[in-house]
Amino acid sequence: MQPLEPLQNFLPQVWFFILGLFLFLYVLLDGFDLGVGILSLTAKGEERRSILMTSLGNVWDANETWLVLMGGSLFGAFPLAYATILNALYLPLVLMVVGLILRAVSFEFRENAENKTIWNITFGVGSFLAALGQGFALGTVFEGIKVDELGHFAGGIWDWLTWHSVVVALTLIQGYVLIGSTYLILKTTGELQKTHYRTATIATWTTLAGAVFITVTTPILWDHARDLLFSRPLVYVFAAIPVLGLALIVALLRSLKLRQENAPIIYTFLIFSLSFVGLGFLIFPNIIPPSVTIYQAAAAPSSLVFMLTFVGFLIPIVLGYNVYNYIVFRGKIVVKEEVSIAGN
Amino acid sequence: MLNVLSDTVTLSRLQFALTAIFHMLWPVLTTGMAIYLVIVEALWLKTRNVTYYHHARFWTKLYVLNFGIGVASGLPMAFQFGLNWAPFSESVGDFLGTLLGFEGTMAFMLEASFLGIMVFGWERVPPLVHFLSTVLVAIGANLSTFWILTANSWLQTPAGGIFADGKFIVQDYFQAITNPFMLNSFLHMFLATLETALFVIGGISAWYLIKKRETEFFSRSFKLALVVLIAVAPLQIFLGHLSAEQVYHYQPTKLAAMEALWETVPANTPADWSVLALPNNKLEKNSWELKVPGVLSYLLELKPTLDTPIQGLKAWAPNDRPKMVGMVYYSFRIMIAIGMFFAALMGITVLQWWRGKLTTEVVSENKWLLLSWVFAGPLGYIAVECGWIVRCVGRQPWIVYGELRTVESASDLPPGVILFSLSGLMLMYAIFFLMTLYFGRKILQKGPNLTLPAPRTLAQPTLVTEPAQHIPDQRPAEASQS
Repeated sequence: MQPLEPLQNFLPQVWFFILGLFLFLYVLLDGFDLGVGILSLTAKGEERRSILMTSLGNVWDANETWLVLMGGSLFGAFPLAYATILNALYLPLVLMVVGLILRAVSFEFRENAENKTIWNITFGVGSFLAALGQGFALGTVFEGIKVDELGHFAGGIWDWLTWHSVVVALTLIQGYVLIGSTYLILKTTGELQKTHYRTATIATWTTLAGAVFITVTTPILWDHARDLLFSRPLVYVFAAIPVLGLALIVALLRSLKLRQENAPIIYTFLIFSLSFVGLGFLIFPNIIPPSVTIYQAAAAPSSLVFMLTFVGFLIPIVLGYNVYNYIVFRGKIVVKEEVSIAGN
Repeated sequence: MLNVLSDTVTLSRLQFALTAIFHMLWPVLTTGMAIYLVIVEALWLKTRNVTYYHHARFWTKLYVLNFGIGVASGLPMAFQFGLNWAPFSESVGDFLGTLLGFEGTMAFMLEASFLGIMVFGWERVPPLVHFLSTVLVAIGANLSTFWILTANSWLQTPAGGIFADGKFIVQDYFQAITNPFMLNSFLHMFLATLETALFVIGGISAWYLIKKRETEFFSRSFKLALVVLIAVAPLQIFLGHLSAEQVYHYQPTKLAAMEALWETVPANTPADWSVLALPNNKLEKNSWELKVPGVLSYLLELKPTLDTPIQGLKAWAPNDRPKMVGMVYYSFRIMIAIGMFFAALMGITVLQWWRGKLTTEVVSENKWLLLSWVFAGPLGYIAVECGWIVRCVGRQPWIVYGELRTVESASDLPPGVILFSLSGLMLMYAIFFLMTLYFGRKILQKGPNLTLPAPRTLAQPTLVTEPAQHIPDQRPAEASQS
C-alpha cells in the first residue's frame, strides 16, 4: 500500500481546494446578491427597488446554488466535517436558510403582487438574516468548534455566539454591502449609481475597520492562531496579506473617487480573494477548526476519486455556462425589459 | 402529544417529513412542466405558429412562480442531513454525500443557470439557443429526480458495500447506484411528476374551457396534455405495480404494513386483498376489515395461490416493523385510487375526442368531463405525497433498510431548538403555500397574452450579437417602469 500513501494525502487536499473554490465563488457571487438585498432596505422608491431586484433576476438562483453545491460536496468529501459543523452551527445555519428562503420567494411573489411593500421587506430582511447567519458561521471558524476524540460535536448549542463572532458577522455584512454597491455601480446609471458610489465608500471604511479589528484580535485571542501566524514560512504570507490588502483598499477608494465603473468591483473581488486566501492558510490542513484535519475527516479515498472523476470534469463546464449567463445579460439594467415580462 | 414535543428523534423526523412534504409540492409540478415547455417550444420552432410561443410564455409564468418557491423550500433539505442527522451523515456520507454532490453539480447548477435565459432571454439569444436552454432546464430538473431517487432507493435497498462499525464502506459504486430499487423508482417518480404536471395543465385548461375563455388556446393545451397522457397514465400504473412487486421481494415489513397484514399467509394458500381496514397497533390486528378473497396472490404472483409466503407484521418484534400501519395502508390505497382515476379519465376523454366531441366549437359542452378534469388537477400532488409516505414511513424503523435504525441516526440536539426551527419553517411553508395559490390564481385570472409579438430574435438573429451597452437607456435610472 506504500505507493498509495501520497494519494491519501493528495485527495483530501484536492477536495479542500475544490470546496474552497465553491465557497469562494459563493461568497463572491451571492455576496453581491445579499449586498444588493441589504441595500434595498435603504432604497427610496419603488422604481429603485425594482431596478435593484431586476439586476439579480437572472443570476440569484445560480449564485445561491454554489452554496448547495458546496453543501453536497462537503457531505460527500468530508462526511465527518459536514455532520459536526452543521450540528454545531444549527441555529446560525437555520437563520441563514430562513433568510435565503425569504429572499428567494420575494422575487417570485413581488413580481406578481400589487402591494409590493411586504415583499420588499422580506427581500431585504431575508438578505440581512442570511448574511448574519453566515457571519456567525465565519466567526466560528476563528473560534473553533469543540469536539470529542472522535471529532463529534461536543459543545453547546449557543457556542457560536460571542462578542468576537458578532464583530465578524457585522464585518461580513459590511463586506457584502461593499460588493453589492460595486455591483450596482457596474449595472446602473445616473442618480442610482451615484448613491452607490457613496454606499461603496462608506462600506469600504466600515469593512476595513472590521478587518483590522479581526486581524489584530485573532492572534491575541487564540493560541492556535498565534502559533500558526508566526510560524515560518507562513509568517511571510500573513505579513504580505495586510500590506497587499491596504494597497487594494487605497486603489478601491481612488477608483470610487474617480467614478470608475468597472474598477471598483474588480478591486473588491481582489480584496475578497485575498481575505479568502488568508483564511485558507489559517485553516489548512484543518477542516473542523481548530483540531480535526482534512485527513481525519475525509471520506474513503475511493469515494474521493469517484466524486472527483465526475465533479472535476464538470467544474469547467459549470463555470463556462455560468460565464455565458453573465455575458448574455451583460450591460446596464434596462427596466423596460422587466415590464415586457410582467405584462405578457 | 407532549412526549412527541420533547423527543429529539421524533421532532427531527417530523421536521424532515414536513419540509419534504411541503417542498415536494413545487418541484413535482415544475419538473414535469419543464418537459411540457420543451414540447410547446419545439412545436413553436417547427411550425412558427405564434400561438405555441404564447403557450410557452403563459405556462412559463406559472412555472417560474413554482420554481422559485421550489428552490427556496428545498434549501433546508440540503442541510438537514447534517443539521439534524449528523450520525447518519457520518455513517453513509461516503456514498450518499457523493450523490448529493453530483446532484448539485450536474442538476441544480444546470437548471439554475439556464433558467435565467429561459425566462428573461427571449430577446437576447437566438431561438435555437433559447430552445436549448429550455431543454437543459428540463434535463437539469429530471437529473435531480434521478439522483434523489437513486439516493433514496439506496436507503431502501442498500447495495454495493458493507456496514462495518456502523459506517458504510463502498466497495462498488456502480452496484450501489444501480441498487435494486433504483431504475424502477426513478421511472415511477419521473412519470409521477409528468403526470401531475399534465393533469394540472389539463385541469387549468378545462377550467378555462368551462368558462369559455380563450377556447382555442386552451383546447390546444388540453389536447396536448391529453396526447402525452395516453402513454403516461397506463404506463404509470404498470410501473407502480412493478414497484409493489419489488417491495414484496425486498422489504417484507413494508409490504405487510401496506396491506395491514398481521398474520403470515403461508405458501400454497390464496392471499386476500384488503380494500378497507381499521388497523389496531395495540391488539395487533385489524378491528374491522373488508377483503376480496384471493386477489393479492394474483396481484403479486399472478397465481391463485402463493409460491412464497407473505409474512405478516407479527412475524417481527414490534420494534422491527413500522408503527404507523394505518398511515401506510391508506396512503397506498389513495395513491392507487388516484392512478386508476387518472387512467380512466384519460380513457373517457380520448373516447370523447374520437367521437368528435372535443372540437373547439363544442368542447365546452362536455361539462361533467371538464369538471372531472378540474377536480383531477390537484390529485397528482396527493398521489405523489401518499407514495412517498408509503415509501419512507413504510421503511421504518430503518433509515437504511435492515442496516441502520432511525433512532440511532439523529443529532443530539435540545428538543426546544428543533421545535423552534420546525415551527418557524412550517409557518413559512404554510404562508408560501397559500401565497402560491393566491398568485397562481391571479396569473390564471389574467390569462394568456395573445397579442404578444414573437421575439425580434426570430426575424433578425444577428441582433443578439450586439452587446447590450450599445443600446444605452437614455433615461435616468429611476425612469418610470412603464
